[in-house]
Amino acid sequence: MYDVIIIGSGISGATIARELSRFQLKTIILEKEYDVAMEATMANSAIVHSGHDPIPGTLKAKFNILGNRMYKQMSEELDIPYMACGGMVTAINEDQVHLIEELYERALINGLRSDEVKIIDQETVRSLEPNIADGVIKALHLPTTAVTFPWEAAIANIENAMDNGVELALENKVIKIEKLDRFVVTTDKSVYEAKVVINATGVYGTDVAKLVTNPHFEIRPRRGEYYVLDKDVRLVNSVIYPAPSEKGKGVIVTPQYHGNTLLGPTSEYVAFSEISKTTASGLEYIKENVAQTVQNIPYHKIVRSFAGGRATSSTEDFVIEESEVKGFINVCGIESPGLTAAPAFAKYVVEELVSVHFEMKPNTDYNPRRRKVLRTNELTFDELNNSFHDNQKYGRIICRCEKITEGEIVDAINRNCGARSVVGVKNRVRAGAGRCQGGFCQSEVINILARELKVDKLDIVYNKAGSNILKETTKGEQK
Amino acid sequence: MKQYDVVVIGGGSAGLAAALEIKKQGIDHVLILERDAELGGILLQCIHNGFGLKVFKEELTGPEYAERFVQELLEMGIEYKLNSMVTKLNPDKTIEYANVNEGFVKISARAVVLAMGCYERNSGSISIPGNRPSGVLTAGSAQKYLNIDGYLVGKRVFILGSGDIGLIMARRMTLEGAKVLGVAEVLPFSGGLKRNIVQCLDDYDIPLYLSHTVTDIIGESKVEKIVISQVDNFVPIPGTEKTFEIDTLLLSVGLVPENSLSERCGIILDKKTKGPVVNESYQTNIEGIFACGNVLHVHDLVDFVTEESRKAGRSVVRYLNHELNATNNMINVLPKNGVSYLLPQEINLSNLVTPMDIFMRVNKEFKNAEIVISNGDTVIKRIKKKHLAPAEMEKFILKDVDLTGDMIDINVAIEVQS
Ligand SMILES: Cc1cc2nc3c(=O)[nH]c(=O)nc-3n(C[C@H](O)[C@H](O)[C@H](O)COP(=O)(O)OP(=O)(O)OC[C@H]3O[C@@H](n4cnc5c(N)ncnc54)[C@H](O)[C@@H]3O)c2cc1C
Ligand SMILES: Cc1cc2nc3c(=O)[nH]c(=O)nc-3n(C[C@H](O)[C@H](O)[C@H](O)COP(=O)(O)OP(=O)(O)OC[C@H]3O[C@@H](n4cnc5c(N)ncnc54)[C@H](O)[C@@H]3O)c2cc1C
Repeated sequence: MYDVIIIGSGISGATIARELSRFQLKTIILEKEYDVAMEATMANSAIVHSGHDPIPGTLKAKFNILGNRMYKQMSEELDIPYMACGGMVTAINEDQVHLIEELYERALINGLRSDEVKIIDQETVRSLEPNIADGVIKALHLPTTAVTFPWEAAIANIENAMDNGVELALENKVIKIEKLDRFVVTTDKSVYEAKVVINATGVYGTDVAKLVTNPHFEIRPRRGEYYVLDKDVRLVNSVIYPAPSEKGKGVIVTPQYHGNTLLGPTSEYVAFSEISKTTASGLEYIKENVAQTVQNIPYHKIVRSFAGGRATSSTEDFVIEESEVKGFINVCGIESPGLTAAPAFAKYVVEELVSVHFEMKPNTDYNPRRRKVLRTNELTFDELNNSFHDNQKYGRIICRCEKITEGEIVDAINRNCGARSVVGVKNRVRAGAGRCQGGFCQSEVINILARELKVDKLDIVYNKAGSNILKETTKGEQK
Repeated sequence: MKQYDVVVIGGGSAGLAAALEIKKQGIDHVLILERDAELGGILLQCIHNGFGLKVFKEELTGPEYAERFVQELLEMGIEYKLNSMVTKLNPDKTIEYANVNEGFVKISARAVVLAMGCYERNSGSISIPGNRPSGVLTAGSAQKYLNIDGYLVGKRVFILGSGDIGLIMARRMTLEGAKVLGVAEVLPFSGGLKRNIVQCLDDYDIPLYLSHTVTDIIGESKVEKIVISQVDNFVPIPGTEKTFEIDTLLLSVGLVPENSLSERCGIILDKKTKGPVVNESYQTNIEGIFACGNVLHVHDLVDFVTEESRKAGRSVVRYLNHELNATNNMINVLPKNGVSYLLPQEINLSNLVTPMDIFMRVNKEFKNAEIVISNGDTVIKRIKKKHLAPAEMEKFILKDVDLTGDMIDINVAIEVQS
């Protein structure tokens, strides 16, 4: 019997788990996938938005600003990459200048300080961003905009929560919930019981809520597609937004922590089965729109394209509340700026919603820090040799594009919330994320996974159950 | 810091041939750094035959071809380090590498030979619409899993791209008991050698769909289906869709020279070849840094790699003996009508050793055409060709007699005979 069951291991479930681990509560995360954070938290712009844009008075506005102010410290404690690059919303005509002037007012109402938002002229824009499109005449400058590394943010929160006692059950899809004096939560694998259940299931929010309540909101997936440029392309220094439209924040150009550049997203309601599909038309749409804000884009340097689904709620705001069924808490409709807002609403969920059900004794062993990740491509020559002297595996480079060593891969497998799949390794240490996309190192990553997890190579999957890469051994070969 | 005369980066056929030539010409301190556990490079996974017809006048498999060089290398006592990946090359010719015995090491060289080969273009770089399930991988990775590791990646296979590796894998997987349902090529002509189309597809009744591409990938965890469509100048034509039920989509959509080390060192790359711009001595814009093999431009025949690398090796020795003049008096070798690229891109006449091989590729198919080589406006020579195709690298030779008079630029164009 648990105190709390969290359904879903995206950034929402992850930050809530860590927040709960500050207290003496027995908590478990149930996740349907083979690894954590494989849905919206895996496919987004990675922007820590400043909070300039949500409609004042909404939960989005409230938690965006609070979350933005918490991100740096969280990133430090958990050793999550964080890039304080700033951002700007551009205007290409007088109507858009009007729009960014309105945004300026909105930003102040939302709580940005006067030194955190400023309108800048064409010349200043150019000096900050050499590749800005010629047509950009003014911009709203947002120095507190930053960029995170979204799935590492989720993984780090869960790892730290597990270090502090939280449990994680992967490949457990919740299919039934009964409310007795406690909740009985049935998955496709097992049955779990708890006093409180938190629904943090992203685009599946209404479906899971319906298992036990009568939700007043409807979540529909809204897809966003992206292109990724190679990391040697230094296109922009900060996040470049177009002026907003009815389609939301529009097609953004975002520098990533590891040097890549993201172009996207699109915005389109789709069926659940279509969420992660990229389309020729979507990718064309990006090319057309991005031309308004940024020029000199080297399209021949594309290394990847991908798509993710926003959990858009019929209420047009986050739904973060206890449902009419006591103890069943919805954290739904967490579309953008959900990644940014998560550390703030997680605190709210625990301190305001969960707390009414328990005595909330502090966990005296709680350690807010995650053991540092050794990232060899960030070390100096001498530091490299120090790490090598501690462990020879840090001298063996596996991924040649990103220069990732065996030591880093082994560590990523053996931590709490460790990697179990090829994509799991790539998401944690970037082996296979470079320009050859694993062409050279994938077979070696499979060898290391099989050895560390003590399973056969044939059983190693790409990303999901059933996605095994190797089919069979050839004639005459021994396993 | 340890000092070498020459450090060769990469121990594939290019690196081996260059190192051997350098040693044979009397240079002693030569080191080959190879990332893999064995010397030989990509040849090791090419267990089919068809290697060495020019160099050895016999048909060898890839590993046999490599073995001849490795044997000679051992006899000559050339130093090499395996499992040793070069992580940095600096313009002053210092080099950093890493391995599990020595950790991270810095060495310096008087000359450097780049021989890092290439990598395969992959699903990321060509942005196929659809899901991202497992089972979509490059033909070269599937080849490595099969020929080196002993694992088959799937049983119902479709191949996108008619590059040679894809064609070879179509046959190889068929022989291993897989069903290869077809090969789609977006261009109206094949990207692979004619002999591979015949021996790997036609002989096994595997259809080749020219002017077709994959327009959708369907599958949750593993690829289940793909849709291919006919294209008109790269644009899919509605109504021409065909669906195939598969468990593996192999991509054979081209190779890209592996130049991240070179780029970060400040070596200028050619936009077309994606390899360094070199002169007649295979020297890059940084003095003392040379390049040969697939890192320079993608070769379809290993014999050409060997010849090119031996020449590069001889240039290195001339450089070390101070026989190469500094780069003055450069003439450009310029691709004109119908020519995709030429190599070398520049010639310093005072360093030229004739006869000089010029490699080239055309940018589309030609029948009954001429390669026209001119000095400025003056035609130097015309070479008749029955058939020219982008998949087949062409070579012509410049002799002393071709290079008399005032040289301006060498222009090369294709003219179709009427
Ligand atoms: C295109 C796009 C761009 C975005 N850009 C930004 C941005 O730049 N900045 C920003 O702040 N925000 C951004 N967002 C929003 C942000 O990505 C999301 O708000 C956030 O990732 C949502 O996290 P989550 O944990 O609520 O949902 P998810 O990450 O989707 O996690 C839900 C989890 O629940 C699991 N689950 C579902 N059903 C079940 C079940 N029945 N049983 C067990 N497990 C289940 C899923 O497998 C999944 O792991 C963007 C979103 C998208 C789609
Ligand atoms: C799959 C395939 C099939 C082919 N089939 C035929 C055929 O049938 N007949 C034919 O004649 N030719 C064929 N070829 C062409 C020919 O074999 C190749 O062009 C030739 O072998 C390339 O040699 P290379 O030395 O330039 O490159 P490679 O063989 O790729 O060698 C490069 C070496 O450099 C190493 N390296 C790279 N980066 C580093 C670094 N940073 N540090 C240390 N080492 C590094 C690599 O590990 C590799 O060993 C084929 C080529 C391929 C790719």
